[in-house]
Amino acid sequence: MAAQRIGLVAWHVFKESVRDRVLYAIGAFALLLVASSLLIGQITAGQDVKIIKDLGLTTIELAGVLMTVFIGVGLVAREIERRSIHSLLAKPLPRWEFIVGKYFGLLLTVTVNVAAMAAALYLMLAWMDWTSLPNIRRSWDAPATDVRLLISVLLIYAELALLTAIALFFSTFSSSALWSVVFTVGLYIAGLESEDLRNFGDIVDAPVMAHVVSAIGWVVPAFSSFDVKAQVVHGVHIPAGYVIHMLLYAIFYIGVALLAAVTIFSRREFK
Amino acid sequence: MATVVRTERLTKDFATGFWRPRPHRALDALSFDIPAGGVYGLLGPNGAGKSTTLKLLVGLLWPTSGRAEVLGRPAGDTGAHQRLGFLPEHPTFYDQLTAEELLMYFAGLFGFAGQERRTRATRVLDRVGLGADRRRPLRQYSKGMIQRVGLAQALVNDPEFVMLDEPMSGLDPIGRREVRDLILHLRDEGRTVLFSSHILSDAELLCSNVGILDRGRLVASGTVAELAASTGEGGRGWEVVVTSLPQAVADRLAPRVRRVTKIAEGRYSLELGPDVHPEPLIAELAVAGAALVSVSTLRTTLEDAFINVISPGPKAPGARPQGQG
Amino acid sequence: MSGRARLGASLLGIVVGLAAAAETLHGREKAYPLPVPSQHLLYLRSNRIASRMMLSFKSVAADVYWIRAIQHYGLERKSLRTTDRFDLLQPLLDLTTTLDPRFNIAYRFGAIFLSLDPPNGPGRIDQAIALLKKGLAYNPNRWQYAHDIGFIEYWYAGDYTAAAGWFERAAEIPGAPDWIRPLAAVTLARGGDRQGARTMLEELRGSEEKYIRDAADRSLAQLRALDDLDQLQGMVDEYFNRRQSYPASMTELMHTFGIAGVPSDPARVPYAYDPATHTFTLGPASPLSPLPKIVQKTPAPKK
Repeated sequence: MAAQRIGLVAWHVFKESVRDRVLYAIGAFALLLVASSLLIGQITAGQDVKIIKDLGLTTIELAGVLMTVFIGVGLVAREIERRSIHSLLAKPLPRWEFIVGKYFGLLLTVTVNVAAMAAALYLMLAWMDWTSLPNIRRSWDAPATDVRLLISVLLIYAELALLTAIALFFSTFSSSALWSVVFTVGLYIAGLESEDLRNFGDIVDAPVMAHVVSAIGWVVPAFSSFDVKAQVVHGVHIPAGYVIHMLLYAIFYIGVALLAAVTIFSRREFK
Repeated sequence: MATVVRTERLTKDFATGFWRPRPHRALDALSFDIPAGGVYGLLGPNGAGKSTTLKLLVGLLWPTSGRAEVLGRPAGDTGAHQRLGFLPEHPTFYDQLTAEELLMYFAGLFGFAGQERRTRATRVLDRVGLGADRRRPLRQYSKGMIQRVGLAQALVNDPEFVMLDEPMSGLDPIGRREVRDLILHLRDEGRTVLFSSHILSDAELLCSNVGILDRGRLVASGTVAELAASTGEGGRGWEVVVTSLPQAVADRLAPRVRRVTKIAEGRYSLELGPDVHPEPLIAELAVAGAALVSVSTLRTTLEDAFINVISPGPKAPGARPQGQG
Repeated sequence: MSGRARLGASLLGIVVGLAAAAETLHGREKAYPLPVPSQHLLYLRSNRIASRMMLSFKSVAADVYWIRAIQHYGLERKSLRTTDRFDLLQPLLDLTTTLDPRFNIAYRFGAIFLSLDPPNGPGRIDQAIALLKKGLAYNPNRWQYAHDIGFIEYWYAGDYTAAAGWFERAAEIPGAPDWIRPLAAVTLARGGDRQGARTMLEELRGSEEKYIRDAADRSLAQLRALDDLDQLQGMVDEYFNRRQSYPASMTELMHTFGIAGVPSDPARVPYAYDPATHTFTLGPASPLSPLPKIVQKTPAPKK
């Protein structure tokens, strides 16, 4: 029974996001970025494949982040702002089911989009491969349609799954959609710097400051550690253990974010 | 079950102000019961706490102290939601969906499966008069249509108990009559209806029981007849309407009658208390040259009772810090 | 579960979850440290393109690259690699100063650490001087850059003439303090003298920048070590004069002169005595190593 309701909420979220015009704006942006990568290939001579892989993966990540933040926050925080949630909560839907359902609906949206963009990237790389001369191909660090790119895509997907949970968390307690966006983006940027935060002690002398910042570096979601774009683009091997650890990390942290979201949302009032 | 709703000293405080939150008491020790079957009207001026009460019953708000029970369970328990329907104060839904999709989604949340969802959705949308528009996105709906969708989604599960927060708002007179008829039908079907309103004439026509809220306090409750009788002014009297009455004569009447109202030039309405016999007065008026239009008995109405119990206070209309009905 | 208990359980769950996540991350970092290919840090090899692409964010980008330069230096110092160390230091500093040509500390600090000899730095005097020259080109009024080049020529390159020339040039720049001009003279006259070096280093100890003060302190400690070594060497020679043989160990030498304990350098690392060559050197673990070459007096001829 609970599963059916969660599934309904999730499906509804997915349907809504598909019809949300923000999605198409982001898609257009992604397309633009990808098209411009072909132009940028001209500037850094001989490195075209690397550039396209780099930009392609970055686009998937960036578009994913934008989508997560704007659609994710929009779908929950806006729902609360506009009070469309009032009639929903009068149904036999426990609050935790609402949160979990929203999460899986957003995740489904992200999955479809990442898959679509990854497929598009591979198509472009396949075309590049097909139209390049053999001696150019030999100069590449890694094949154009390198399967290892999928490792990066997988980690980007895990990163986005985590960011989605965090966006959902911020939506449940902040008073407006705008604040949710601000917090989510802020935490994302902090997460990108988490490695630097953790190594703060090496650079700074004051021990108290170093410890505080280091601690923050451990708690903040380590988004930078999901970034293996530079490695896969050059064909550097990523050990399976690395991927497994990061997926495990994502799962733990997603659990934390959802638990926190459910906790806050269960106590929340709606005027 | 004999009682559908029971509240015991239900109290709700809101924190207002940003820097030093002061609690604003929206509901103060509210205690009332709603028996099964019948229509209960929760009345009061704007800001009295009507919407707050309904939201507490449905679990959108939590009580600061006191208890509330709905259908035998604590308020907010989603188990009770299976058997109730709720129309919120400012209904908004999901712009991208069609009415049919929305109703089917909600029907699914109640546990109905597959084809039954569509059947129920269609049936309930027909009932509120939206059958023809059910495949259009809600984005395109007018305010009145959205209100009807709100009613529909409150009924999709055939609830025992229906809670309607200001169901008439946003409707034209035809719509209001339709909603009144709907409420009566629901009552005839054996359901219990609770609605909040500040429009008293609707309550008079529909309610078996009524509760009047003023600034968070329940200041009167009972049947309409009981409340009307409680104004204690004797409850009877006369209204005499005449034309062609000279002004001078009207002015001389003032001390003998309860009220003189000038409707137009020469046309007056005279209110007589129950202790005054109308016949001699009418004879006098005829001698003075007035023509009689009508003589009728006065019944004190719910409006009188209402005005009686609502304390005049230093409040400007709509001056609540948070908008509560 | 009551509301309170549920809240407590949730909070506990959150804390446990965060701890588990942090543990996993830590475990992964230890077990699978990710090799960072060098190009990654720079991403944009061409300064021209970097400049154009950064648009209005040049200053911020310069800050970012400066921080990366410091991190690179810090990490390289701890790294156990023996080749290609500090290889990104110059490109990072170059990029930083292209994006923000007035980034004072990038020029001065960058030059110091480019000059440091391995293992503390790349020992690239040429790069250090090029960086400072770039700074002078953009900021002709910065007499400090000319002075710094002079110091590098004096201390690391041992080219006293060039050093004096740069000190003169610094003195010409309006705003330069009075003590610069005599510095040129002193350099020419007493180049190779430790006392001259001491004078200049004492001046540097008054600098506003902590890194420069630290570098000056270190250099002064090295000079004291050199003096100590000369004195110890003198003791060896005296021993030979007395016994017609060289001491077999440091303890024996100390004992002969009635000195208790073991002589240590200003960093409290004991000096090392090699009986085979009968010379004293810095202890192998001393942080003052390597000693500057230019101001070592030639050892006294053996009798």
